[in-house]
Amino acid sequence: MNLPLKCSIAAIAFAAALVGGSLPAKAAEAVSVRLKWVAQAQFAGVYVAKAKGFYEEAGLDATINPGGPNINVETLVASGADTFGIASGTEGVLYAREKGLPLTCIGMSQQMTPFAYVAYDDSGINSVKDFKGKTVATWMTGPQFTLYSVLAHEGLAQSDANIVSQPFSMQPFIDKQYDVATVTLYNELNTLKEQGINNIKIFLPDDSGVTTQQDSIVTSEKMIAEKPEVVQAFLNATLKGWKYAFENKSEAVDIVMAAGSGLERKHQELMLEEIEKLMRAKLGGSEGLGAIDMASIKAVHDSLIEYKALNTEIDLESAFDQSFWAKVPADAKSM
Amino acid sequence: MKRHLPLAHPATALVMATCAWLVLVPLLGVPPRYLPSLGRVVADAISVWPELLNSFLRTLSEAVLGFLAGAALGIAFGVAFARSRVLERSVLPLFIALQSVPVIAFGAVVVIWFGNSLLSKVMIALYLSFFPVAVSTLRGLQAIDEKRVALFLSFGANRMQVFWRLALPTALPSIFTGLKLAVSLSLIGAIVGEWFGDTVGLGVMLLQALYFEQVERIWVLIVVCGLLGTLLYGLLAFIERKYVWWRPA
Repeated sequence: MNLPLKCSIAAIAFAAALVGGSLPAKAAEAVSVRLKWVAQAQFAGVYVAKAKGFYEEAGLDATINPGGPNINVETLVASGADTFGIASGTEGVLYAREKGLPLTCIGMSQQMTPFAYVAYDDSGINSVKDFKGKTVATWMTGPQFTLYSVLAHEGLAQSDANIVSQPFSMQPFIDKQYDVATVTLYNELNTLKEQGINNIKIFLPDDSGVTTQQDSIVTSEKMIAEKPEVVQAFLNATLKGWKYAFENKSEAVDIVMAAGSGLERKHQELMLEEIEKLMRAKLGGSEGLGAIDMASIKAVHDSLIEYKALNTEIDLESAFDQSFWAKVPADAKSM
Repeated sequence: MKRHLPLAHPATALVMATCAWLVLVPLLGVPPRYLPSLGRVVADAISVWPELLNSFLRTLSEAVLGFLAGAALGIAFGVAFARSRVLERSVLPLFIALQSVPVIAFGAVVVIWFGNSLLSKVMIALYLSFFPVAVSTLRGLQAIDEKRVALFLSFGANRMQVFWRLALPTALPSIFTGLKLAVSLSLIGAIVGEWFGDTVGLGVMLLQALYFEQVERIWVLIVVCGLLGTLLYGLLAFIERKYVWWRPA
């Protein structure tokens, strides 16, 4: 009875010594990052940072939690259920702050508005000004405010266009149930092209002077106050992941494909191409990946106030904390 | 004793539906966006079969675990309600209120409490499946003939004997009705649960198919979810036919 017991104690001690010896001196900090959707190339940087060990090198034991249609990233991160998040965007951060959520944006992924408006070539619509009197469909889950801003910048009133709610699917636009539809440049536009619909014109909000940054990188005020070094490490590694993803797109798509199930490689490749354009546009090119564009945020804030989508002024400097992004090493964010 | 007729019926319907799909879609020239041909759907299923199998097994285990937990909880509450009128009056209305809340509303709560684990999907499947079992157990137990109870007692049976030998057997056909409802609901719970964030599962694949508007993939998943539901329901119906062959008096 005694010998096997002794043996097993010795074995356990030996195993413990082995494990102990192989661990780094400092235990990795366990963090989680909540995505706004399921695994896809829209989040390639995060998956690459995990797969290539960038989080590990930064002392982080990162878990990636995918999102879905019923997931509110802002709430989960503000409540502490997740440490970090890839959340909706400028508007989402502003609404979260208005609701009093202790949420802070530390970086912005997409540097230009990812939404665009499409109309058929034969529709007679040649500019946003021609939306007047037409049926314009958009998602009423936030992007409608971008449309309102675009109309205002082009000198149109909201009532000039017949604005209707757009469903999940592009099918009604394909069936020509409305004149103008909203797309994201990284998905629905690709879907239309894939279905052979190329006889369309595209109108970009940025061309009307409306920029809304999307896919905000967020964390809680508590993390910023208590573990700023972890926040810095996460942002450094995430942006490094994005840079690597754009420099090694094929490998990045492999990593994303392995993280999801049933993904189509072609869709993911197209998405990564478009995401790269969105992330390297404007400040993403001149300043670096993940830059926070305070001027465009101020403009979005002011127009939301104007449309009474926001009822109180938000302190932008505390909602969008640029200090971490400023400290990200240049070689991790500049392409 | 063996009767093949009841089993033959669903299979016949399945074969007929398959034939109709196979023949009518090309015959009527249905555009693929409305209903792709069976061949295209099967080809799409084959192209992702390892992931499809993984997802099938994952969703199956979520649904089965949620169903088992929900059934156990439902029967326990049903028995408790039948025993205590006070409990029935006080707790049952709370359950009814809970059932009226769409499960989506609990999404954030479930994720905060249980994370993105298998457990969170099991909890949603449990939440959807326990209620019909509780109600059908209660109704089944309430349907006991008081004269039979009196007869049992007059022969000196104790309360446990009355429960195991009379009340439960009387209630079982009713309980099985609840279980068959619950097993379909637990599958829905598992699929909806995956929409709160996951990487594997039929719900995740369905979400991706909707997002990319992959019509063939959507049909693959409709068929696979249907097969999974039929499998679970059929298994329960089989158990019922084999072990609960009597009808309530």
